[in-house]
Amino acid sequence: MDRKWFSRWTTALVLGVLILQASPLWAQAGTVLGRQTLGRAYWHVFAAYAIVWLFVLGWLISIVRRLRRVEERLGTE
Amino acid sequence: MSTYLRLVWAIARKDLLVEFRTHERLTAMGAFVVLIGVLFNFSIDTALVRPQDIAAALIWMTIIFGGMLGLGNTFRLEQEDGALSGILQSPIPLDALYLGKVLGNFILLSVMVALVFAVFGLFFNLRFSGNPLTLLGVVSFGVVGFVSLTTLFSAMATRSSMGESLLPVLVFPLLIPVVVYGTTATDRLFAGRPVAEVSGNLRMLLAFAIVFTVAGAGLFRFVIEE
Amino acid sequence: MIQRQIRGAVGVLGALGVATVLVLHWMVFFWVPTESTMGVVQRIFYIHVPAWWIAFLAFGLVALCSAVYLWLGDERLDRAAVASAEAGMIFTTIGLLTGPLWGRVAWGTWWEWEPRLTLALILWFIYLGYFLVRRSTVNPEQGKRFAAVVGIIGVLDIPLIHVSVTWLRSLHPQAVILSAENPMNLDGSMGATIGVGLLAFTLVFASLFLARYTVGGYELELDLRDATSGNTQGAEA
Repeated sequence: MDRKWFSRWTTALVLGVLILQASPLWAQAGTVLGRQTLGRAYWHVFAAYAIVWLFVLGWLISIVRRLRRVEERLGTE
Repeated sequence: MSTYLRLVWAIARKDLLVEFRTHERLTAMGAFVVLIGVLFNFSIDTALVRPQDIAAALIWMTIIFGGMLGLGNTFRLEQEDGALSGILQSPIPLDALYLGKVLGNFILLSVMVALVFAVFGLFFNLRFSGNPLTLLGVVSFGVVGFVSLTTLFSAMATRSSMGESLLPVLVFPLLIPVVVYGTTATDRLFAGRPVAEVSGNLRMLLAFAIVFTVAGAGLFRFVIEE
Repeated sequence: MIQRQIRGAVGVLGALGVATVLVLHWMVFFWVPTESTMGVVQRIFYIHVPAWWIAFLAFGLVALCSAVYLWLGDERLDRAAVASAEAGMIFTTIGLLTGPLWGRVAWGTWWEWEPRLTLALILWFIYLGYFLVRRSTVNPEQGKRFAAVVGIIGVLDIPLIHVSVTWLRSLHPQAVILSAENPMNLDGSMGATIGVGLLAFTLVFASLFLARYTVGGYELELDLRDATSGNTQGAEA
């Protein structure tokens, strides 16, 4: 029961962050900001945000994988 | 207190005697220093760069690279011959063991440093117009800091499967203050600047040396225990 | 049981973290005005500064846990140190990658030896040393102790390194178009956004740190169980 609860929360977290990664794209579409200076291909900003979330997600995934391995070991006992 | 100091000296003396008889480390370091001087000579285009301008940098880099070569072996003898467990069983306090090793290494490295200055002075026609005692202070404090850090990490590196290749990765980032203060002080002294301009550097080098010798002595037992 | 509370904390902090991150994104991309001197690229700061903050917070935690671990020998402290070190490494990498992205536009070059970026690079290597030394020993207990020593020496050296680097730079005034040390005209909304960024990152860090710490605990327990089950006498490993 504890395990299912844990993985449910982690899935929620993963989905949440995945959705977030799309948000810079929303920002481009017809907002005040979009009309301002985004014409000057400041891909740097989006690259930076993408990097942050990739790394954080990466860590989260590595923790989840460790947990899966632990569960496997518990299962084989 | 005096027994403690005698123990420290006993350890240093043992290492120095071994070195004196086998000449292993000194030969390697000495050859390295000379050859690095040679390589630097060929790598610097004297039409574009005056070696005197970068002498301090070259000297300190050589001290560090050459030092790594010799310091990595600090605990090799104990490790190989299984002498380490013997020493650990003796009543010698571990920080005394550490300080003895540091002292031995310092003396060894001092010989190498003298060689570095001689070789580079010769190869690059360096003139020294500053205060030699101040230069001695700068170099000594810098080398103490370098040696105390590297001796501690060398104990770790000897025990690890990666061995001595791990040592530069661990130590180089930590040596930045020594490089910064050492090279600027040496540069200024070679340029004949007054001692007052160098006193700040001297203080920082001394602080570095003290902090890491004390820290090393305190942390050494965690590194040497089985 | 404490484990249950920790797991509860992970969930709560994680949810709060995600929520704050959402708020942050809204603020950064829809709300906060563009900064006058730097333009759009300044928005990187809203994650660069928090990443920086976490990198150092994590390192402080590593050093603290390492010191107490060496003193008391309690395994949990080492677990906390490792979890914190992983976080620190990740956020330092983020700082090292986002800094140049900002710098390319602000300074015109990818790399500048400015104090913060330099320190980030050094910190990254100290973290690297921490992990290398941990994995390189035959005896894992020894590896943990070595790593703890690296953490402690690192925390002692970092201020000295920072002072030396800053001093060296002050000798040669750099013609920098935009100084990284005091980069912007901070108006209220920008301060608020950075604050939210700091909060968001701290929550995410706290949640993932606790999760990593807990999983580390499970692994340790299982390792002990595996070690003792192989012993026919049933004596302690």
